[in-house]
Amino acid sequence: MPRMALFPGCLVLQRMPQYEKATKRVLTELDVHLENIPHAACCGAPLESFTDRWLHLAAYNLALAERLGRDILTLCGNCTNTLLRAQAALDEPSLRSDVNETLDEIGLRFEGSTTVKHLVELLTGHVEDLREKVTRELSLRVAVTHPCQAFRPHEISSFDDPLQPQAMRRIVELTGAEVVDYDAEFDCCGSTLYLADEGLGLEAGRRKLASAAQADVLVDACGNCQLLLERFRPGMGSGAGAGRTVVLTLPQLLGLAMGIDSGELGIGPASARELSRRSS
Amino acid sequence: MSERDLDALLEDCTQCGLCREVCIVETLGAHSITSLLCGEEQYSSWLCSSCWRCQEVCPQGVDIHAIIMEMRREEEPPPGHEANLVNVLSFGYALPVDDSIDDLRHFHGLEAVEFMPQAWLKILLEGLEVGASGE
Repeated sequence: MPRMALFPGCLVLQRMPQYEKATKRVLTELDVHLENIPHAACCGAPLESFTDRWLHLAAYNLALAERLGRDILTLCGNCTNTLLRAQAALDEPSLRSDVNETLDEIGLRFEGSTTVKHLVELLTGHVEDLREKVTRELSLRVAVTHPCQAFRPHEISSFDDPLQPQAMRRIVELTGAEVVDYDAEFDCCGSTLYLADEGLGLEAGRRKLASAAQADVLVDACGNCQLLLERFRPGMGSGAGAGRTVVLTLPQLLGLAMGIDSGELGIGPASARELSRRSS
Repeated sequence: MSERDLDALLEDCTQCGLCREVCIVETLGAHSITSLLCGEEQYSSWLCSSCWRCQEVCPQGVDIHAIIMEMRREEEPPPGHEANLVNVLSFGYALPVDDSIDDLRHFHGLEAVEFMPQAWLKILLEGLEVGASGE
């Protein structure tokens, strides 16, 4: 059974364990075993705007996974982007030795021996297994929002088209659901923007939800997207609620198609009722 | 960042405007770094969703991300970003650590978190202070 080290990132770890729960449940079906990384910290992204020391934090997390001897699975676009860029930056010998000098004080060493994969990339490698596990085809119209930072820049992430990623659409299609196009599909959800300007972030989210209003479900694969599009939706006013599109994470949708109970996937009762109304 | 450093990063920019065309901030009527790249004076390096689309479409391969990061270190940060910084320096995470996290995780049948030891955080980020620009 393949084993990977799960790096949920701050948001999922602390605020959206539903996404982590659904990921673990669905990957068990695919015989991928996930281990937690004891003592893992923030990926380093919030530090980068202030200091080059973000690399130390990223390298620390990578070194913890190396010590476990596992590749890393990420659930968030921002963490994926940050860890992949850190790995690339640490190819530079003087940077690496500087970081390792600090890591040595806590008994760790960065060697660059682990691979960082986002959930969408991992699932892309399990398409045939997924197809076999779908026992309940979903009669739902699904709009996809992509974890944009996981696919960019193309120099560090080459598994999908960086501007119009397709991998997640193909995974959703396996559930039997109809994947619908919408104008704002490849636009950012606005989550990271929210930190600098709440109004602009919410407006980006409202615009996306309104554009996808024809869909029964808007599915994401990123802690940041889920935070803004699902949690912060009530703050968006009219337009975002149009059609009451249910916002789910990718493993929650896949789990439903595998016949897994919505409670085991961390889908709340209101969303579960809406989904059952729409699919009947 | 010195003017010379900025000039070096901008050396290959032809002000074609493709970056601004794909920028979600500009689409929403505000002004990001892509406005600076088009020669405008009204912009903020903090108004960015980190989606990387500008850099991806740039035909000249300008490292727009590097420009944003360099400029942010000289501009006053918005409270949300500063709060994240304070949290990372205090806890090692972008969000504050308290008991409610494990309560929520237990509710969902997940294990408690083994948080990063404070001593290690100190070693990794020693000397960094809130409000400090760079190192």
